[in-house]
Amino acid sequence: MSAAIVLLTLAERAAASLEVGIWGTAAWLAVAIVAAIGSMSLLGMALVLIERKVAARFQSRLGPMRVGPHGLFQTVADSIKLLIKEDIIPEQADRILFFLAPTFSLIATLLALVIVPVSPTLHLVDLNIGVVFFAAVSGFGVLGILLGGWSSNNKWSLLGAMRAGAQFISYELSLTLCLIVAVLFAGSLQLSEVVASQADGWWIWRGHVVTIVAFVVFIIASTAELNRPPFDLPEAESELTGGFHTEFSGLRFAFFFLAEFINMFVASALAATLFLGGWMPFQVGGWDTFNSVMAIIPGPIWFAGKVAVIIFISMWVRWTFPRLRVDQLMRLEWKFLLPIGIANVLIAAVIILSGLYFFPVGN
Amino acid sequence: MNVFGSGPGIERRVNVANNDVDVIVAPRGSSRPPGIISWFRSVAIAIRSLLTGMRVTAGYLFGRDKVVTQQYPENRETLEMNERFRGRLKLTHDDNGYMNCNGCKFCEIACPNQSIIIKDRRNPVNDKSELDQFIWRLDTCTFCNACIQVCPHDALEWGQDFEGAVYDRRLLVYTLNSYAGPQARLIERAIKKDEQPEELKATIEPRSRYGTGVPLAGDELPGVPALGGEDKEST
Repeated sequence: MSAAIVLLTLAERAAASLEVGIWGTAAWLAVAIVAAIGSMSLLGMALVLIERKVAARFQSRLGPMRVGPHGLFQTVADSIKLLIKEDIIPEQADRILFFLAPTFSLIATLLALVIVPVSPTLHLVDLNIGVVFFAAVSGFGVLGILLGGWSSNNKWSLLGAMRAGAQFISYELSLTLCLIVAVLFAGSLQLSEVVASQADGWWIWRGHVVTIVAFVVFIIASTAELNRPPFDLPEAESELTGGFHTEFSGLRFAFFFLAEFINMFVASALAATLFLGGWMPFQVGGWDTFNSVMAIIPGPIWFAGKVAVIIFISMWVRWTFPRLRVDQLMRLEWKFLLPIGIANVLIAAVIILSGLYFFPVGN
Repeated sequence: MNVFGSGPGIERRVNVANNDVDVIVAPRGSSRPPGIISWFRSVAIAIRSLLTGMRVTAGYLFGRDKVVTQQYPENRETLEMNERFRGRLKLTHDDNGYMNCNGCKFCEIACPNQSIIIKDRRNPVNDKSELDQFIWRLDTCTFCNACIQVCPHDALEWGQDFEGAVYDRRLLVYTLNSYAGPQARLIERAIKKDEQPEELKATIEPRSRYGTGVPLAGDELPGVPALGGEDKEST
């Protein structure tokens, strides 16, 4: 995450050096790109390792233990292995789309990562339509999966990709409805202002039951968006031998894999920002000593803690529930999550219009 | 609840390949659309059952002593094997160290792949048939447990030793008994009745895993050529 501030300053330096010459700018940009890719890979590797360790604990195992102390460098070794593997392109594949698909997936992830507010200073791009941007970019991610499945020219890949399309289109609705609830309460689409509006209390406490419901539905819908179990129908190892990435190997597979895990981080970060107060510390009205102690802890640590909790819940769910059937998946969305989401938005609007929520803000 | 609904199960008859077949129509769910109350009830049931499942997995996560993985090469000295693990076949012995096997060949007959070959001999003292060599071929054994189930004297059991890898497959043919001689029961009876116990014990001859008289040192087994007459100890 420190790369975000590095990238910011590097981008500024690149802009400043433009007056001197084009080569200095190019060098600064190269350093910035390397830093961004490095931080992304580090984040992805860390998440994969944590996932494997937590999964092992859930199953009474130890997980990776061989590479480094307690298997700390297992994912580093795996990454090196992925990089030096043969890059296979099927003979009948659509070569251009096959090249583009993993890149699309990764670009969508990178774009979503850009708007995550880690702290007041560590905020790469503070778009005034941050929430809309997130919804748009996360919808772009499915394009990579659809193209990947299509271009592989493989029945399993195609089936997985089509499932992914149906799944994304369905769950995008619930996701956006939950975003609308958060935006209604915060009164802004800008993520920095959404965080600032929670200085007196996180929305999950202040919004009666509405924000709690919205938070839960957001977690469910984002899990479905991320293709994580129990919603991993596009991959479905036991049915589709890997789904949309069956034919991908080496670096291209690594792109999909990395995008999936960074997406998990981004979705958890968004949930933390919208409902759990982002980098705001935990405050209780009236407890001044407690509040000042909580305020000492810096924002990035609060943010990381909240994200970690949500990621842990996501892993917990993953290693508890079996995969859904396609019809069950659609039933859950259209018969349960969507009605709940619409009712939730209506109730939220009523609450805000009548000013009923807890700890009313000054404005 | 009747799975087939309230009416009679048989709905109609259909002619399939000149046979009248009864077709049972099993309606799935109720014909009426579910009401709003049952919708809320289903949501409540879903949340409760999901939380139940998550509580179970959380119990596994936080029960640290439940980790069953063992770091095998590192903990070779303190490795805990499971009681029912089937490792190398062993002959059981009584408290005095005499084996329970009398060479009755039940296990040889029961073995589905001829992995057990019993060689017996006549005891010169009491003229009874007794075990000379209990040859067990690890290379063809499927660990099916048949030999242990048929043994009338409980003379066989599974060991816990699983490190059986060797570089020469002829080394997978073992002689399991450590000596050739009378069964433990006969020696016990002889001691009790004082019928030539010392003479019986004197007939005992040592046998080692690849030692004297084993197939490796002269005799051939099907598919296993002899090693060439001289004794080879395992390494």
